Amino acid sequence: MSDADARSAPQPPAAGELSPRESLELIRAQQASAARDLQVNPVPILASWGVAWALGFGAFYFASSGARGHFLPLWAAAAILCTFSAVAVAAVVAQLVRRGRGVRGPSRTVAASFGWSWLLALAGVFALNIGLSQHGLPASLAPLLWPGSSSVVVGVLYLAGGLLFADRVQYGLGAWMLAVGAGSVLAGWPANFAVLALAGGGGFLAAALCTVMRTRARAER
Amino acid sequence: MSTDGPASAEALREPALPALDPVIHAQPRLRVIVALSALADGDRVSFPRLQELAGLTAGNLATHLRRLEDAGYVRVAKSYRRRTPVTWLSLTTAGRLALEEYLAALRALLDSAGQGRHQHDNKAGREPRNGETAP
Repeated sequence: MSDADARSAPQPPAAGELSPRESLELIRAQQASAARDLQVNPVPILASWGVAWALGFGAFYFASSGARGHFLPLWAAAAILCTFSAVAVAAVVAQLVRRGRGVRGPSRTVAASFGWSWLLALAGVFALNIGLSQHGLPASLAPLLWPGSSSVVVGVLYLAGGLLFADRVQYGLGAWMLAVGAGSVLAGWPANFAVLALAGGGGFLAAALCTVMRTRARAER
Repeated sequence: MSTDGPASAEALREPALPALDPVIHAQPRLRVIVALSALADGDRVSFPRLQELAGLTAGNLATHLRRLEDAGYVRVAKSYRRRTPVTWLSLTTAGRLALEEYLAALRALLDSAGQGRHQHDNKAGREPRNGETAP
C-alpha cells in the first residue's frame, strides 16, 4: 500500500487544479496502482509451485532405488514435497486474501469457485487412484499413477484458469502440464520423477518468468 | 476540429477546448473514480479498502464520495456485518461514462495543444508542449 501511494502520488501545484497532462499521468498511475492492488499476482504462486515440483519430485527421484545417485530415504522426499507444497498453498491463500480484502461481487464468486474446483478435482482424482489400488492395481504403478494423474488435473485446471482470466501464459502452462503428466508416465519409473521435476517444475518457473516479462512490457507501453 | 495551424492555436484555444467535467477534474475525486473503475464488472469495494486504494484519509474520502454520489457517478450501499455497518462503493454506468468522456476530453486537449509538433507520443511530448503553451 505505501509502495502504491509513493508511485501514484505526483503532487499537483495547487490542490485539485490539474493540467490535462498531469491529469492523464495521475490517471495512469492510479490505474496501475489499483490494478496492482486488486489483481491476483500469479508470479509468487507460479514460482513457489515451480520450486515445489522441482525440489519435491527431484527428491523423489533421488529416493528411488532404481535411480542413479539414490541417496535419499523416501520419507525425506515426501517431507520435502509436502513442505514446499504447503509454502505454495500459502502463497495462493495470501494472494487471494490480500487482493480480495474489502471487495465483494461476481469476481470474488468466480475466484472462490475456481479455488474450490482445485480441491474438488484433486480429491476426485485421488479417490480414483485409491480405488484403483484397492481393486488390485500393482503397487509398483502407484509412483507413476499418482503424480501423473495429478499433473493432468493440474493441466486441465490451468487451461480453465487461462480461459477464466484471459491469460495465455496460464493456458499455455495448462497444455504443457498435460504433456508433462502423460510424458512422465510414458518415461516409466523412476525417470518419471525427473520429467516431473525438470519439465513440470521448469514449466511453472518459465510461466512465472513469462508473466514477469509481460507485466514489464505492459508497464512500458 | 478546425484548428488551422499552430499560429492560430492560441486564439482558438478558448472555443476549441472541450469542457472538463468539474466533478471529476479534481485530484482526490479523480483518484477515487479511477480506483473504482479498476474493479471488475459488478464488484463493489468497502470504504476502508477504497481509502487505501485511493490513498485518501477517511474524512477526505467521505467528502468527495458525497460529491460523486450527488453527481450520480458512484453508488453507495450500506450493509451490516456482525452489527457493524459496512459501506460498499461502486461506479455507476454514468460514472464509467463520465470517466471515459473526461479521458477523451483530456486527449483532445493534449492533441490540439501538441498538434503539428508531436504525434501521439505522450512521454516525449511533455516538455516542449509545456514551453509552447505557457504565455
